[in-house]
Amino acid sequence: MEGKAKILIVDDDADFIESTRIILEAKPYDVIIANQGDEGLQKARDENPDLIILDVIMPVKDGFTAAEQLKKDPKLSKIPVIMLTAFSAKGGETSIPRSRGYTLDTEDYLEKPVQPQNLLVAVEKALGRTSS
Amino acid sequence: MISESSIESVAPGYSPEEAALLMRLRVFVTMRWIAILGMLVATLVASQVLDISFPTLPVYLICPVIALYNVVFYFQLRAIAGGEPGTIVHKARMYGNVHIFLDLIALTVLLHFTGGIENPLVFFYVFHIVLASIALHFRVVYVVATGALMMVGLLVGLEYAKVIPHVNLEGFAAPTLYQDGVYILAVLLALAAILYGTTYMATAISGELRKRQRQVVQLGEELLAEKKDELEQVSREKAELTEEKDRFLQFLSIAAHDLKAPLTAIQGFLWVMVGGYAGELTDKQKNMLERSSKRITELLNLISDLLDIPRIETGQILTEMKDVSLKQILRNCLQEQRKVAKEKGLKLTVEIPEQLQRIRGSGPRLQQVITNLVDNAIQYTPEGTITVSVKERRDDIQVEIRDTGIGIPEEDMPHLFDDFFRASNVEVKGTGLGLSISKRIIEAHNGEIWCESPCPETSQGSRFTFTLPKMRKRSRRQR
Repeated sequence: MEGKAKILIVDDDADFIESTRIILEAKPYDVIIANQGDEGLQKARDENPDLIILDVIMPVKDGFTAAEQLKKDPKLSKIPVIMLTAFSAKGGETSIPRSRGYTLDTEDYLEKPVQPQNLLVAVEKALGRTSS
Repeated sequence: MISESSIESVAPGYSPEEAALLMRLRVFVTMRWIAILGMLVATLVASQVLDISFPTLPVYLICPVIALYNVVFYFQLRAIAGGEPGTIVHKARMYGNVHIFLDLIALTVLLHFTGGIENPLVFFYVFHIVLASIALHFRVVYVVATGALMMVGLLVGLEYAKVIPHVNLEGFAAPTLYQDGVYILAVLLALAAILYGTTYMATAISGELRKRQRQVVQLGEELLAEKKDELEQVSREKAELTEEKDRFLQFLSIAAHDLKAPLTAIQGFLWVMVGGYAGELTDKQKNMLERSSKRITELLNLISDLLDIPRIETGQILTEMKDVSLKQILRNCLQEQRKVAKEKGLKLTVEIPEQLQRIRGSGPRLQQVITNLVDNAIQYTPEGTITVSVKERRDDIQVEIRDTGIGIPEEDMPHLFDDFFRASNVEVKGTGLGLSISKRIIEAHNGEIWCESPCPETSQGSRFTFTLPKMRKRSRRQR
């Protein structure tokens, strides 16, 4: 891929976006942000990002619904998605995506807060540019 | 005559009253067959053995007539029994009334041909009264008694007045007896007394019986209604409880999220600063930020653990249960821990049989237990080996986590799985809820968990063991 990869962060928590943005921009990646699901979908269509980081729990439209809509849109379905949540990855909380009928690979699922290095590894993996 | 239970078994689908009435009318039909046989035998005995002389032909003719209408009754009853349930009582009573009057007429005609007032069988009307009182309304029984009396009165009256011929039972009664007014009156009075007396007694008894029957039925219905109410009450309460539980779990989810969200934002900024993304830090600053970050992690873990307990205790695990492969679960969680162990210079070995039966359980929850036990082992083992060993036994699968670590003081052993318990020989780390949560998870799977320290095999470190029942052996217990 030429140039900086463009990453869309969709999260309702402005502070969390801020810290994530700082880490990603330092890499450097191009970061665009959206504060809720619908806005995220719109930005995805307009900006055609290389990766979308999607918060699960958001008011109005939650991350799973947004992800389902992304996967249905032929223009957007190829964009990799990382799901983020403040829920603990252990126990019943991880059963939420399953109960919604939405299957996610473990690489696509990150628990908040995310260590900067873990975030970067996940992003690189998702972009298909893991150095190995 | 017949018990309630046998009525039920004879006629399922009928009300007890309908079943009883049908059964009694069937008894009438049977009795009529016996009566016909009795008449034939009596006539034979009277004419052949007792040498009483009278024309037997009319008797032999009357018997087939009774037999004929008895056959008709038999089919009528079958038709009623197959009819609409609501109409059975009314129809059966109506047919019963007709039957009994036909029987009265039959007996009266028979009497006429067998000596009229001379024949002691004149008292046989008692049978009609008794049978009628069993099946029919008590007023009808009085009508039957009156009808019988009137018929006999008419018969002997007509014979007395010589309007119709009189048959004399030769060799049994004087040929002029039917002209003896006093005798006739005495017989009629005696008959009246017997018939009305019997009617009174028989209807009283059968009335009482029917009352009892109705009481039994009513009692049964009341009991049934009561049980139904109770059942409805219980299922309503259960639905309310389930709803309440769902609301509670929903509440916990929201509480977990809202408690963690601000901490997550803080943690994000702390990591950004510690990582140097927000400019250079002095060592002192960095150290303080790292310590802050550690405390935030502790708090985040505590929130997770605290909110985990009610989730497990409300039986959420049961909803997550499915066929899972323990092998896969081990592979998932040991990947990360192998790295951590290696960094600490520890060896992490896994002993697992090639073939391992799948179990029924919650994958994420079992992963949580294994992660917790292996994490503890890594934490409390300065050097040596941590071994995760899986054995398949007859009824369960047994998982062991052995370490060569510092072990657990004897006085701590009984409290190891208590909430907020932390071992006395280590610095305070963790929430003190890890093992108590693991125990809850294993018990929700119908398994057991225990600890031995030092490990019996190596006489050092500790060994945690838990079991998970194999699938078909035991049923799941609801918590």
